[in-house]
Amino acid sequence: MNYSTHNTLLYVEKLSVAYGDKTVIKDINFVEKDVVRENNITGQVIAFVGRSGRGKSTLFRAMTGLIKPTTGKILIADTETDSENDAKEVHEGDIGFVDQKYTLFRNKTVYQALLFALRKKDISKEEKHTKIMSYLSDWGLEKVKDQYPCELSGGQRQRTAIIEQILCSGHYMVLDEPFSGLDVGNIEDVKNAFNLITSTHEFNTIIYSTHDIELAVELADSIYVIGYPTIDGKRTDYGTIVKHFDMKELNLAWKDFGLDHIEIVKQIKATMLNS
Amino acid sequence: MKYLFKPFEKVSKNSRLLIIGVWVALVLIFWFVSSMGERHLFPSPKQVLTGFTELYNEGLVVHIGSSLLLCIKAILIAVIISLIVTYLSTIPVITPIAKTLSKLRYLPLTGISFYLAILISDARTMQVWVLVVFMTTYLTTSLLSMISSIPQEEFDHARSLQCNRWEVLWEVVVKGRIDHVIEVIRQNLAIVWMMLVTVESILVAAGGLGFLIKNSDKFMNHGRIIALQIVILLVGLSIDFVLDYLRKAFFRYSKI
Repeated sequence: MNYSTHNTLLYVEKLSVAYGDKTVIKDINFVEKDVVRENNITGQVIAFVGRSGRGKSTLFRAMTGLIKPTTGKILIADTETDSENDAKEVHEGDIGFVDQKYTLFRNKTVYQALLFALRKKDISKEEKHTKIMSYLSDWGLEKVKDQYPCELSGGQRQRTAIIEQILCSGHYMVLDEPFSGLDVGNIEDVKNAFNLITSTHEFNTIIYSTHDIELAVELADSIYVIGYPTIDGKRTDYGTIVKHFDMKELNLAWKDFGLDHIEIVKQIKATMLNS
Repeated sequence: MKYLFKPFEKVSKNSRLLIIGVWVALVLIFWFVSSMGERHLFPSPKQVLTGFTELYNEGLVVHIGSSLLLCIKAILIAVIISLIVTYLSTIPVITPIAKTLSKLRYLPLTGISFYLAILISDARTMQVWVLVVFMTTYLTTSLLSMISSIPQEEFDHARSLQCNRWEVLWEVVVKGRIDHVIEVIRQNLAIVWMMLVTVESILVAAGGLGFLIKNSDKFMNHGRIIALQIVILLVGLSIDFVLDYLRKAFFRYSKI
């Protein structure tokens, strides 16, 4: 499938995070660019896979500015300036973050939560209302707009958490294990949500982690395996990127899941088991 | 019937009512039996009823009002102080102050009231402040525990929505936990109620349930003492019920 890459959207260099003496992740380097396909708005879908405890959540917290990296830098495209290639360092709130538990404000209804997410946007009250109602309708949440998180199903909570981040943050969204504990229907909902996000704007970038390798291979156009690297024959105890699968280069992105995808699943699983 | 004696067994509403009914009947039977004869520990139901009548004629309602007023005053002041200290405890410089205030709950009442007596001349104000000092230490302890039990995800969620640190404090801790504050007050109210007798004996002229029980104690009027204990218990339980009702009515999302 024809595609080209343009502006750099995400640039991570020599990133490491340590808590006291314990280094959790180290030497993380990767670059993701805007993928452009003719007659098609194509956002980026980046998956991180790896065994438990390899530092995926720590990496995500660093990428969203929730923790300060010990070393290295994380840059994202500054889309608010006129210049095309301006970049800025990530700060809290620049990248949306949806955690595994789909955390929401427990004292705000769905509508109130989305209104709060829009509080910094320079638009009128009526425009905010219209925007919220449009999202609620598109994402099938109209009927539960006046309900509190404790009254929502897991899928409804997750969709609310995603819309909240879309409304508040820019083009980037990090989701920590968005498929964990979901039934078949809810998994389809999340897949649709991914499609909705990536088909809205060229720069929209979804970064997610998952233990479901098949889903990573099916949805992502770039897959990073996080694991403990083996240096000089000895396995270290910090997480880093041990392998990258560029599904675009492999001509497997944006295609139905087939035999070639299964081969990649096998390779990813083998890499994970060895790291 | 055997299942009623099995741990963790779920029982129907009717069975639950039956269990409560049996226990109440057993208590009443024990009371009647133990208060019969010449020598007995507890006053008979008749003596307690007489105690009630006497207390009512002596202005029991006014005394209940006086105790409630004292309680409300003390709770309001204590809640304001505790909340300010607890919310500010999220600031590193203030944290030791909040923790120390919480530890002060181990101080004995006598020492505190001695210094309060030096500082405060008015006896009614003295009553209020003794309660405030004690209530504040317990409330602060519970409120600090409330904050430490907020999951990190809730703070991260607010931060990911571009909340600055003060907004995080306001949205997650202050607004997000008002229902918990009511629950903390409800649980700590028993402490104030328990200290009522001691504190109200400081100023006899102001009256109150504590004064009445002290007075009855002096004359060994057992019927009145038990009648008063029942009144104190019922008033306390009523306040407890009202606070729980308010929390559930005003905060639909509250599932504590």
